[in-house]
Amino acid sequence: MANKSVWSDNRFWQRSAAWVTGFASVLLIWLTFDTSAQISMGNDADLKNGVTKRVPGPTVINYKITYEMDTKRGHEVPVIGGKEKFFGRDDYSEEEAGALLHLGKLGSQAKNCMDCHTLLGNGAYYAPDLTKSWLDPAWGPEGSLQAMTGKNTREEAMAEFLQHPSQYPTHERMMPNLGITAEEAKGLVAFLKHMSSIDTNGFPRNFGKIQGAVHGK
Amino acid sequence: MFEPFVDVVPSFFGWLNQGPLTLTIFLHTIIILPMIWIYKQEKARLEREE
Repeated sequence: MANKSVWSDNRFWQRSAAWVTGFASVLLIWLTFDTSAQISMGNDADLKNGVTKRVPGPTVINYKITYEMDTKRGHEVPVIGGKEKFFGRDDYSEEEAGALLHLGKLGSQAKNCMDCHTLLGNGAYYAPDLTKSWLDPAWGPEGSLQAMTGKNTREEAMAEFLQHPSQYPTHERMMPNLGITAEEAKGLVAFLKHMSSIDTNGFPRNFGKIQGAVHGK
Repeated sequence: MFEPFVDVVPSFFGWLNQGPLTLTIFLHTIIILPMIWIYKQEKARLEREE
């Protein structure tokens, strides 16, 4: 019969801690590689062949994106459909689309969108979440925001708003004029369109039910 | 109890994130079971040293 309890034995705790720390390290390194594989961007060939990627290639701006309920997963997922004109074109090459997205991304950083908005979970909730803003029916053909700008397409309406936000009463907290040029606005809209095509596991929650909120009571 | 696995890309971490049960099974397997094994080894060692 041992007089010394295992629970007060140093070696037991040392070995347990070493095992848990070691295993957790291996798990985190594995998680890093698993994540990188899942968030790597697709390319034009994937889009043409209908290969589903969490993050589609930049040429997704040539396609129509809808947000549809997936009953199996219990939330909406972006669905990439047929060709759709974006600023009058649906034949952006991988380089052109990539450059446009890059311009939009740099623009979003330079104008500090995240000071007020949320992009893919990063940012603030002072102003609306922009993760799926491209899919917002308010910018669609029947939408109040598109009607407000007097434009005929989603992208032109969004670009017009971005260039002259202080002219349009949208929110009780109005967006200030940030001096966004026409070219920058085009890049930003491309950036937002691409962002809305990313499968974010239904984030932001309940965006698909926004109809009620947009055409509020 | 077990929901169908519906992630876009099947992954071990997706399985881990399915709910509390999968997480509990996983943590017991990698922490509790090895600790029981270590406990038995250390107990045997202490008895030998007596």
